[in-house]
Amino acid sequence: VSGRRVLITGVSTRLGTELARRLERDPSVEYVAGLDVRPPRARLERTEFIDADIRNPIIGRLIPQTEVDTVVHNQIVRQPGGGVAPRAMHDINVIGTLQLLAACEQTPTIRAVVVRGSAGIYGAEPAAPQFYTEEMARLYPLRTRFQRDVGEIENYFEGYSRRHPEVVCTMLRYQPSIGPGTDSQVTRYLSAPVIPTFLGFDPRLQFVHESDGIEALLAAIRNPVRGAVNVAAPGTIGLTKMVRLAGKVSVPIPAGAFVPALNTGRRIGMPAISPDFRRLLRFGRAVDVTRLIDEVGYMPRYDATEAIEDYVEHQQGRRLIPSIRHLAVGV
Amino acid sequence: MTTRTTDSTGARTRGAYTAAPPRQDQIEGGVPPFGPAIAFLRRLRQGIEGGPMAMPAAAAAALTSFPVEVREAVDRALQRAAGEYDEDEWGFDEEFATALRPLLDFLYDRWWRVETSGVTNVPGTGRAMLVSNHAGILPWDGTMISLAIQREHPMPRYPRFLVLDWAFTLPFVSVAMRKVGGVVASPYNASRLLEDDELVAVFPEGAKGAGKDFSERYRLQRFGRGGFVEIALRAGAPIVPVAVVGSEEIYPKVGESRLLARAIGAPYFPITPTFPALGPLGTIPLPSKWRIEFGEPIRTDHLGPEAADDRALVFELSERVRDEIQRMVYENLVRRGSAFI
Repeated sequence: VSGRRVLITGVSTRLGTELARRLERDPSVEYVAGLDVRPPRARLERTEFIDADIRNPIIGRLIPQTEVDTVVHNQIVRQPGGGVAPRAMHDINVIGTLQLLAACEQTPTIRAVVVRGSAGIYGAEPAAPQFYTEEMARLYPLRTRFQRDVGEIENYFEGYSRRHPEVVCTMLRYQPSIGPGTDSQVTRYLSAPVIPTFLGFDPRLQFVHESDGIEALLAAIRNPVRGAVNVAAPGTIGLTKMVRLAGKVSVPIPAGAFVPALNTGRRIGMPAISPDFRRLLRFGRAVDVTRLIDEVGYMPRYDATEAIEDYVEHQQGRRLIPSIRHLAVGV
Repeated sequence: MTTRTTDSTGARTRGAYTAAPPRQDQIEGGVPPFGPAIAFLRRLRQGIEGGPMAMPAAAAAALTSFPVEVREAVDRALQRAAGEYDEDEWGFDEEFATALRPLLDFLYDRWWRVETSGVTNVPGTGRAMLVSNHAGILPWDGTMISLAIQREHPMPRYPRFLVLDWAFTLPFVSVAMRKVGGVVASPYNASRLLEDDELVAVFPEGAKGAGKDFSERYRLQRFGRGGFVEIALRAGAPIVPVAVVGSEEIYPKVGESRLLARAIGAPYFPITPTFPALGPLGTIPLPSKWRIEFGEPIRTDHLGPEAADDRALVFELSERVRDEIQRMVYENLVRRGSAFI
């Protein structure tokens, strides 16, 4: 039996490069290919780098040549910023996915497709179930642009999966990542000098620690299961508790004034907050991870609070405001 | 009351006050309560004179002037401010719920003079569903049911309430609800709580019960579609009927305003003799006399989870629970006698 042949899209993201490195070290993986427009973040040893834009139909000729059996779709942009305009974000997410699937149609060797999708499809709703299970994706209308993007991506993969019963399609729905090496909307939000919150709201939030994020992806590649799987740290953490653990001061803003206040804040260098994240900060969201644990067989190592604590521990040096307790009683 | 307690504050806070100065002799037992406050200010001033670096130590030292309880409370508050507190995955914050006890105890003992019976019918462990009549606009009835279990049950536990989802769109209310154990009323949440072996409190009358006119008092409204029975059957949880008498009189609703309800998105906007005429004062509940009775549990585990699909059985059980609560309500009304004295 020859080894697995894996293609990773978005190989130059932090997670993509790390994933390639982990697969390279795995003796059961015979071949690794990485697709992106920029070179990977670190030197990879045996990964074949394919320098192509996922939005370009040329990948329909490049991917079949690799004869891969597994495709890991990691090129889904989660938040605007970082050099990606909102318009480009939509193009990469939706057109990119379409082109990738068109290329997969022409690659008969494919047996598994694993997508690093987003739990953003559930949205953030005041009356939501306190833990979304995988079949609850369409309980509410898709309200934001990113939600609609994720909805379309999931639709395309469902269609592909129906046409190709021989391919196992896994849709991993990730909660936002957090960790010492992560640079995301969440970490930028938490590292602002003061933290804007909604007055009178303290939502239950859930994240996934970056190391659990990558291990869950590896577990899903080793053991692909059909359909959607939530990926998150078990349990939840309240926003207030999270801000306090980070040693930050929150600035509660009434809901009606939130957007104008943020726009003003951006002019003085405060981080931007996307519409999805804004809803999350008001109503929160938590998912059920039974399927990840029981079917994919991965037990996250960090729970919700531990994930935040690990992040905060690595941030201590950058702390601007020492904890009140530290000032008062010296512990 | 003593002030000589540098290291008797328990293991958790030990070490926090090692910067304490030599024992003071200005304050002895029997000094009026502002004694510690004066000592606190004096020490703080000494600390300030010592320069900015001495401030934290001075603040800690100054705290030693206060009795243990105060210092522990301050220390705990600082821990909470540093994010060191527990909320379970549902957002329930036991410490927060306990902190409300003094006010609730006053309402229970003095204001409403609650008399509770049959509290041992509530299982001390494992899954169970409390089903109660609902009245009184604000969820005081649920609060008192919970308090009755805290106070009278040999194995006290916090019930989790199914709360109308509208509450979770409101600032402050949403946070308070989840911190005292409220979750959005949905079959999924109820089932999951029961699977976790929690005690779940439901009010099947919903807004219809809480928002009914004063003239309709103590007449149970329709019990939805019996959804609570289905959930209990699926989880095999016993149903404990609960009757609350007294909650109908706390806000006698004489009318409602559709216009105002629509304006704030509320299910109804009540008008009582005092609200909204007296503004915030109108939200003070009237001191009616209360009785809470917990009925015999109705077992469901012998019927099996498939029974949840049997419509006839679900309706029959739902009616049985409703009749039982109505019977207990009337019985307790008679026993209570006069509504206020």
